[in-house]
Order: sequence, then C-alpha cells, then structure tokens
Amino acid sequence: MKKSAAWGLVCSFAAIASLVSGCAAEVARQQTQWQPLSTAPAIIEFRETVTLEPSSGYSRTLNAGSQWREAGRIPQGQVFRPVNGVLTVEGRHVHEAYIVLDGGRVVGFYLPVEQSFAALPPKPVQYQNKGN
Amino acid sequence: MLLILRRVFAACALATLAACASGPKYNEVKSAIPTIPAEQGRIIVYRSGSMVGAAIQPDVMMGGVKIGQSVPGGFFFVDRPAGSYEISTSTEVEKKLTLVLEKGETKYVKTSIGMGFMVGRVQPELIDPKQGQMEVEELSYTGTPLQGTK
Repeated sequence: MKKSAAWGLVCSFAAIASLVSGCAAEVARQQTQWQPLSTAPAIIEFRETVTLEPSSGYSRTLNAGSQWREAGRIPQGQVFRPVNGVLTVEGRHVHEAYIVLDGGRVVGFYLPVEQSFAALPPKPVQYQNKGN
Repeated sequence: MLLILRRVFAACALATLAACASGPKYNEVKSAIPTIPAEQGRIIVYRSGSMVGAAIQPDVMMGGVKIGQSVPGGFFFVDRPAGSYEISTSTEVEKKLTLVLEKGETKYVKTSIGMGFMVGRVQPELIDPKQGQMEVEELSYTGTPLQGTK
C-alpha cells in the first residue's frame, strides 16, 4: 500500500473515531449580565414554526403555538422560557436553555445554569402577546 | 449443533432479561411516592425498556455524586432544593446535562444509549414533562425502597 493511501486510511479512521466517540463541539457562549423581571411576566405565543441552527450542529425546532413566558433580560435581548415544556441546546454537553428575542428576532439562547449567552444567526419570528 | 445453538440463544435471552429493571411497576408504587418537600423540586431519571445496549448500565451522577443507575426499563427520583444541577453518566464519554430546578417543579431526565467508539454510551437528556410522565408510567421503580412497598 502506498504511504499516502495509508495516511488517508489513518486520517479517516481518526475522523470516524472522533465522531462516534462524542467529540462534538462545545456550545459557543459568552458570559452575560442577567436582570430578573421587576414586573409581571409577559406570555407570548409563536404564530409560526422556527428552526434554529446553532453552530454546535444540533438544530432546535420551536413549534407554532408554543408559548413562552418572559423570565428576564440580558444585554442581548429579552429572555423567554418555555411554558409547559423544556428547551435544551446541545454540543459536547446538553444545557437547559431559554430563548433570547430582540426586535422580533430570535438572536440566541440564554443558558441559566452557565449564566451565559449562545448567539445564533438572528431569525425573525411572528408571535402574539397572550397577556401576563 | 442445533442443541448448542439453542443453549446459546437461551443464555443470551436470559442475560438480556436479567439486564432489565426488575422493581415494582409505576402503578404499584404510585401511591407510595411522597409529595415533593417544600422548597424542593424533583428530578425523575429514567430509561426506556429498549434492549439495545441493555448490558450497559452506568451510574447516574449529580454533581459528581452517585444518585442511581441507568437500568433499561427503570426509573428513580431525587428531591433537591431549588437550584442548578449537573447530571452525567459514567460511560466511555461523559456527556453532562445542566438544568435549573425550581421549587415544586418536576424535571424528567431520560438516559438513552448512544453509539460510542469502543462501547455504547448512555447520555442524559431533558424531556418535556408530559412526555416524561407518560414514559415513566410504563417503567419499573429502581430507586431506594419507598414506605409502603416491598
């Protein structure tokens, strides 16, 4: 076997090994400043289904009709947590997450345990207020 | 030859069955499950009864401390003060789940088998409460004995 072919085999094996051994990328995030709500939380309902695609590669679909309760604010936007549901982001590990809305767009996730913000390519979303 | 094959098959079937949770079914312990203590929340950890990777039954850790074992077809729960928690399993690759537990809340954590390099690995994921409750009702209790049950 030629040397280059052997190296190709070794590299392929290493790539496959790293894939199946769970070497997914860590969720890229930055520390942020959490501000709790001082008023009654607003509830919103999505009018459309939105698929979010974080850089870690594990997409998340937020369904039309899903409801979200305002939880607080960070410099990147308003933070909403799911009503009667859960949301996670996944990379090397799995993290409970809330969504961050700014100007009618989902701009990222807030990770409450890590108190950090994971940015997303902004995605417009239609929603309606359901009151407090 | 046929006899040997039969014996091998029987041994495999026995080993597979032995790998499943053998505790009481959810309906048998439902009434003995205590209410969540004040100022605490509940984390229910479970695994479906699938036979895939049934022999892999790692410990389930919370903050580095063992709280139970991931057994196919089994569930258990822990009550903890409201706060942030990290759950992991002790398999080939450690995949952690971080979650926030609130007072009076119940969180459902499903452990499931994934493909590893040398062996399968068991990883935790957070499940919608409605789905989690439905799935747990099909399983057997593998936690510490409850008052009023054998």
